[in-house]
Order: sequence, then C-alpha cells, then structure tokens
Amino acid sequence: MTFALTLSSSDLLLLLPEILLTSWLCLILIIDFSFPQLPNEQLAYFSIAGLVATLGCLVWFDVAGITGTLFANMFALDRMALFFKMFVVGSTILVILASIDYIHRFKFFRGEYYFLVVMSALGMMFMASANDLLSVFVTLEFSTLGFYVLVAYLREDIASNEAGIKFFILGIFAAALLAYGISLVYGETGKLVFSDMTTVQASPGLVIGFLLIFAALGFKIGAVPFHSWIPDTYHGSPTPVTAFLSIAPKGAAFAILLRMFFVALATFKPVWTLLLVAVSILSMTYGNIVAIAQKNMKRLLAYSGIAQIGNVLIGLATGTKMGSDAMLFYLLTYLFANLGAFAIVIAVSEAIGSEEIDDYSGLGRRSPFLAFSMLIFLLSLAGVPPLAGFIGKLYIFIAAIKEGLYVLITVGLINIVISMYYYLIVVKKMYVNEPHDRSPLKVSGPIKVVVYVCLAGTLAIGVYPQPVTDWVVSAIMIFSNVADPTASLPIPPAILPFGG
Amino acid sequence: MIEELASTFPILTCILFLPVIGAVVLWLFDDEDMVRTSALAIALLELALCAFVLLRFVPESAAMQFSEHVPWIPALGISYHLAVDGISVLFVGLTAFLTVLIVIYSWDTVRHQVKLYMMALLALETTTMGVFLSLDLILFFVFWELMLIPSYFMIKLWGGGAERHYAALKFVLYTLLGSVFMLVGIALLDINYHQWATLRHIEPTYSFDLLELLSVPIPLSQQVLIFWLLFLGFAFKAPVFPFHTWLPDALFEGPIGMAVVLAGLKLGTFGFIRFSIPLLPDASKSQTVVSIIMALGLAAVLYGAIMALVQQDFRRLLAFSSISHLGFVVIGLFALNYQGLQGSLLTMINLGFSTAGLFFIAGFLYSRQQSTHLGSFGGMAKQTPLLASFFLFIGLASIGLPGTNGFVGEFLILLGTFKANWLYGGIAVTGVIFSAAYFLWYYERSMLGPLGKAVKDSIRDLHPREILIASALSLMILWIGLYPSPFLKMMNGSVQALVDRLERGTVASLEPKQPVRVD
Repeated sequence: MTFALTLSSSDLLLLLPEILLTSWLCLILIIDFSFPQLPNEQLAYFSIAGLVATLGCLVWFDVAGITGTLFANMFALDRMALFFKMFVVGSTILVILASIDYIHRFKFFRGEYYFLVVMSALGMMFMASANDLLSVFVTLEFSTLGFYVLVAYLREDIASNEAGIKFFILGIFAAALLAYGISLVYGETGKLVFSDMTTVQASPGLVIGFLLIFAALGFKIGAVPFHSWIPDTYHGSPTPVTAFLSIAPKGAAFAILLRMFFVALATFKPVWTLLLVAVSILSMTYGNIVAIAQKNMKRLLAYSGIAQIGNVLIGLATGTKMGSDAMLFYLLTYLFANLGAFAIVIAVSEAIGSEEIDDYSGLGRRSPFLAFSMLIFLLSLAGVPPLAGFIGKLYIFIAAIKEGLYVLITVGLINIVISMYYYLIVVKKMYVNEPHDRSPLKVSGPIKVVVYVCLAGTLAIGVYPQPVTDWVVSAIMIFSNVADPTASLPIPPAILPFGG
Repeated sequence: MIEELASTFPILTCILFLPVIGAVVLWLFDDEDMVRTSALAIALLELALCAFVLLRFVPESAAMQFSEHVPWIPALGISYHLAVDGISVLFVGLTAFLTVLIVIYSWDTVRHQVKLYMMALLALETTTMGVFLSLDLILFFVFWELMLIPSYFMIKLWGGGAERHYAALKFVLYTLLGSVFMLVGIALLDINYHQWATLRHIEPTYSFDLLELLSVPIPLSQQVLIFWLLFLGFAFKAPVFPFHTWLPDALFEGPIGMAVVLAGLKLGTFGFIRFSIPLLPDASKSQTVVSIIMALGLAAVLYGAIMALVQQDFRRLLAFSSISHLGFVVIGLFALNYQGLQGSLLTMINLGFSTAGLFFIAGFLYSRQQSTHLGSFGGMAKQTPLLASFFLFIGLASIGLPGTNGFVGEFLILLGTFKANWLYGGIAVTGVIFSAAYFLWYYERSMLGPLGKAVKDSIRDLHPREILIASALSLMILWIGLYPSPFLKMMNGSVQALVDRLERGTVASLEPKQPVRVD
C-alpha cells in the first residue's frame, strides 16, 4: 500500500468542517489564556458560534452533495458520515448550552471545560468518517481522551473521581482490546480498509479479532455485557458531561458499527445477526429491569439508556437498509428525548441541589414547565404516540418483523411495558406526590432554550416525521447493496467522487 | 372494495381536534366558572358537529363517508385517513353526548384542579374520537395509546379511592401490554401487504390503510396469528374475561367521569368489529377461534353476573355487570351472522346509555352519602323518589326490559347466537336472568324497605343538573327502545358488507382475473 499524501485543495475542502473546528479549538484556548477575566458565558457562546459554523458547513455539504474519500479510503465523507457529524455537533451545541449554569461548580479550569468538550466533538466527527481499522482506533481514542478529563471534572467530589478512575481503567482496557483485535484482523487478512474486506474468508483469528473490536465498540455504546462502567460514571460525572456521554459518542460509535457490519462483514450477516440479537436482548432486559430499582435520576437515565441502546441494536441486527434507516431515525429521536431529560435534571439540580427521584415530588406544581417537558421526554423514551420515540420504535420493529426476528421483537415489546412502569413512577412523583417545599423553581435562559429545542424536536418528529425519514433513507444509500438479499456478493460501497 | 365518499369540508378533522384545541384554550382561563362554561361550550359545539354528521350520514350504505385521506409518513406507508361508516358513526355521536353529560356532572362534583380536569377530559374525548374515526391502523394505534395518558391522570388525580395510584398504574400497564402485541399484529398485516404489493408492483409498497389491507389476501395460518395478536390488544382494553382484572379497580378507584368513559365506550369490542373481523374473516370463522372466543364470552357472561351478585359496592357491581355485558357483545359478534353483528353493535351503543347512566346514578349516590357501599343506603325511595325512579328505569334498561333499548340489542344477539349454535344461545340466556337478579336485588336493598341507619337526614333529591343528565339518558333509552329503526338503518349497510366479507374470505375478494396465489 502506497501512501500518496498529495492533498489537493479539493481534498482539503472535504476536511473543511474538521479544519474549521480545529482552528476554533485553538482560538478557544488562546482566548481563555489571554483574557482570564472573560466571563464564562462569553467563552461558551464563542464555542457555540464555532460549532454552529461547523454545523452550517456540514449542512452545506449535505445539500450540495459534497462527498468523497481521503487518505486511501481511510477517511470517508458520505451522507451517512455527514448525518453522524451533524448529530454529534448538534448534541454538542445543546450540551454546551446546558452547561452554562452548571459550570460554577467547577473550582478551576472553567475555560478548559469548553475546550475539552469541543475537542471530544472533533474526535467524534472523525469517528463518523473512519473507514478503516487504524482510523477507528485513532479517532476512538482521540474522542475518549477528552472524556477522561471531563468525567472527573468535579475535583472535590469523591463520586466524580471514582467515575473518572472507573471510566479511565475500563476505557484503557477497551482500547487494548481494540488494538489487539485490529492486529489480529490485519494479521489474518492484510487489510485495514472496511470496503476491501468484503471478500475475506472466515478464520479463527478473524473471528476473535472482530469480536474484540466489537467488544471495544460495545464498551463505547454501553451495551450489555460491556456496560459495567455506565451507572457509576453517569452518576459521578458532572451532569452535562453525563448528558454528552450518553448520546454523542454512541452516535459516532454506531457509525463505525454500521460500516464494520454492513460493509466489511456483509457476507457473514447470518452469524453477526445472532450476536447482535443476543446483545440487544441482554441490553434491553438488563437495562429496564435494573432501572426499576433506581432512586437517582441520573442512574435511572443511565439504565434506561442501556435499554435504549438495545433498541437501536435491533436495527443493526436486521442487517437491512430499512433497519439501518430506522437506527438513524431512532438515534435522532433518542437525542432529543435524552438530552431534554438531562437538561431538566440539570435545571432541577441547579434549583434544589438534588438528583434523587424523591426530590422530584410535586415538580408539577413547583414548575409546570419543567414537569410537563419531563413528561413528554419520558413518554417519548417509553415510545408513546405521537411522540418521536414512538415512530422510532415502530420503524425499528417493522424492520425487524420484516426480517422475521420474532424473539427479539417479543422481548422488545415486553420491555416497552417494563420501561413504562419506571417512567410512570417518575411521572407520579412529579404530579401526584406533595412537594417537600412549595417554592417555585427558577429556570435559567440557556436551559430553557435546550428544553424548548428538545421539545420541538420530540413533538415535530412525532407529528410530522416525513422530512426526517426522507433524510435517513437517503443518508444510508451506500448500504443499498445489503438491502437486497439476492445479491450474492456485496459490491463495495459506491462512493461518489467529489462534487458528484 | 369499499366505496369512499370524500367530503368537501374536513368536518371529521374538526371533530377530532376541536376538543384538544379547546383544552389548550382552557389553559388561558383562571376563573373556575369560566373554565366550566367554556368546557361545556366546547363539548356542546362538538356534539353539534357530530349531530351534523349523523344527520348527513347516508343510511343503508356500506360506504366510508366524510372521508379524508392525506399521506403522513409515506416512507412507512402511514397515512392520515379518517372516515365514518355504519360501524363507527354512532360511537362518534355517543362519545360527544357522554362528554357533554360528564362536563355537566362534573360541574360541582370536581372541586380541585378543575381546569386540569376539564383539559384531561377534553383530551380524552379527542383520543376516543381518534380511535373511532381512524382508518389507518397506525393512526388508530396512536390514539389508542394516547388515551392512556389522560386516563392515567384522571384516575390518579381525581379518583376517590385510596388505591387509585395502584389502579391507574395497573390500568396503564395492562392496556399497554395488550397493545404492544396488537402493534406486532398490525406490523404483520403491513408486511403481508408489502409482500403482495412488491410481487405485483403495486404502489404504495407499504400500507397501514384499512381499505388497502382489505384488498390483499392473507394466508390462513398468518391470519390466525394476527388474529390472536390483535385479540390481546382488544381483549385487554375491552376487557374480555380473563383479562378484566384492571376494570373493577379502575372503575372503583377512578372518578365517575372516567368510569363513564371506560364503561360506556366499548373500545375493545369496537376494535373487533372494525379491524379483526373484516381484516381476518377466515381466521374469525375458523372453528378453533370461534370456540375459544365463545367459551371466553360465555365465561364472562356467567362470571361477571355471579360476581356482580355478591358485590356490596354499587360501582364494583357495575364493573362486573359491565364484564358480563361485554361477554354478551363478544358472543353476538362471533355468532358471525347478520343479527348477531347488528345486535352487538347496537348493544355497544346501548351500554353507552345504560351502563354509563348507572355510573352517573352511582355518582349521584356518592355525592349524597360519600360512598356507594350498600351499608350507606336503604329505603331511600321515600326520601329521594326522583333518584329512585331514574335508578330503576336506567337499571331496567340495562337488564333489557322490553320497551327499553337494552331489549332490542339483547334480543338480536340472542337471535343471532341461537342461529349460530343453540347451545351457546342457551347458556347466554341464563346471563339475562342473572342480570335481572343482581340488579333488582341491589335495588331492593338500597332503595326499598325501611330507611337505612346511615342515610343522612339532610339527604336531598336530585337537583336540576342531575335531573337533566338522567332525563337525557332516559330519553335516549326510550327512543332506541321504542323506535330503533333510524339507528339500525345507519348500521345496516356496513353490517351487511361485513357479513358478505365473512362469507367470501380474503382470497375470493380479488378480481377473478388475477391468479390467486398466496405467498
């Protein structure tokens, strides 16, 4: 393999969003050092400005159809990558908005907080484009690096430190598994790029290699049995970081999983379907059952998040285009409902200093706005029509029924009923129980913006999902080879030349 | 193919969304009297719209009338498709009628959080209307599920019982459990349609539209599977014995308004006649399915009646009598002949007046004695003659005395059942006797004889608002009882089409030119 590093200006254009964000990162650092007196909000809005510019750039790429590959197929910019990049950048913007009030809890390094958040976002943007095993490793570690620090940002808080250590040790372990898996796969096949692997023969080394890679990615998305870091890390981390951790890296990791299973391993579909069905069933069932017993809102959302990831995995397990469309759709609905719920956890925790479910008693009277929004987000997570979550679940279930995955569907449906139970417990606390303290809650402006955006997303996608379904259907065009079961050998993904 | 009459003015959309928009408007008011008046105005306007639809409805026709059809999620074949036919049109009117009565009843009986109560009630009306009006199965499912949310809050926040939290949660989880299975059934119908459509290159390739799903054949084994999946959804909601355990709790613990909706609007059995029987005719008439359902129906008739006989509390008695009546309806439906279907449909409407009426009576009793337990009553007829008379009249309608509406419906059901199988008919008749027994026995103990010790001296007879409710219900009971033909005429066309569909099955409904091949 020869590496020709002659980048033309049109190649550089493909990297424009990343280059833009990298320069912005440097600017954030410089401004933070140069103007120590600058209020935190200014820096937050400055970071958001950069992210919005990046988002604009991505939208422009998507609309203009600018796609292509770089560095001998290591970096693929197709519409699916663009979808996930927008997903990551969008969630980062909302997380930073939700952090503005929370930041006063950090004693030191408030400016670096934004730097680290944006840096992780940059890493995840690269993840969305990673098209070979080496770039998977590099981008995955790059994005996790920021999180290692962010998770332990509350230096005085023992729980936050515990979360940091746990996340770090398990993260490093996952990275080692990933590196080991990659070396096995490379040793067996001599190939690194996903789209070159479509013709590989099965061998023990290859199977173990891919299982190790899957374990590392499973750690990233928090699927059972790779979930053990999730509850404590979510609980101990600063809440905006938890929100960020619960959504953005998962989206980016699913981009890699899609490329790995649908492109590189398309011929082994019957085998990995079984693996994914098992992981999906475990995640849904474990997440939902353990969630019932939770007393802390962040832990509840952590376990419900594990279960939600199980739902997304149903789409992956189908191995069809419809399944992957449904996954993207589902992730988007999950983004709004989950970030919205976390924004409310932040708002409540700012106002009353607690994240225990018990302290949500009487929220309906203390702050009708927060309680109503929480109701909508929880119902969307549970999949009640006509909210976004319902359409997402429906989409995924139809895709799975079409593939005849009846066991998976049955488990999934029973899990919906279980999840309804613990979501309703929260609803009951908010609306029926007497408040411990009747004083109304104050909600700050930026949090309100986040909640409004998430509410709008949850309601709009639920009531009028057509634009989003059109978007996800066209974003996954590259996998149309998998959708057709009659195709004997999958054709390598047709990636449009630049400007096509 | 069922004919569709499109309407120039989207009146069904107005009927569907008027209550929920009204609920949002209520949010703006702070004054409680203003809230009550506006809620009543909205409910009356809704009733007027429904009356208009009923008057303009073409009777003796199987057509889908006032139809509106707009794509909603084309990628999944989901559309916004509303229409009424002979099966659903009366339910629409009934829903609007009962909502008006509930608003009037709640005028002074709901004292706290009046605004939220009225909002929940109107939201509930929208979702119920949605269930009756939707022709797209997903749209139907959306409203079906959405119903749970206002119901949950109504039971929880305005219920009178101590166990209302438990009852609300039980209600939601039971219904949800059934409906997730129903969703699988709906998805299987869609997949079956998809396979058929892709083989024949028919657009659209996915569809949840009732009329389009009716046009494709479904293999019998598939039909039976889908039938049971849908059955679970409808049976939990109806509730059909043995899926009924949530009902007594919800009716006893919840507020009277909620009980009227739950007991008066037979959504579950409506699901059978709207979707299960027409979509899956071959499964519906297969021997195993019919015998199992008949067995469940008969068990419900007897179990409900016997349980009702021993209840000390009037609301629990009504809950079990409701289960017994539903058994009747199910038996009539699965007699699968003209009289049975017609009788069941009419009985579902009748129960909306009589069972719901008895719940209003239970409400009147409750507001006088703060209890519906037998121990709080006795010999009330002397003190409250009007209450006692209305109680007797509506009660007799519920047990099917000739001259009341209950008689017409029950008679048709029994006729249909005897035609189908004399044994089933014979067992079902005993249910009628039981129902007379439990009602009259309770009536005698509570209203006649010496005055009960617990009856307050200050007890008063019905006041004007209550008289209005009771007489409106009595009027409808008499109308259907003495002159049912306008109602029957509205149903006839659709019932006949359903009977034809049952005879032909799904496969033969295709044009003969097309090769009949089931994939």
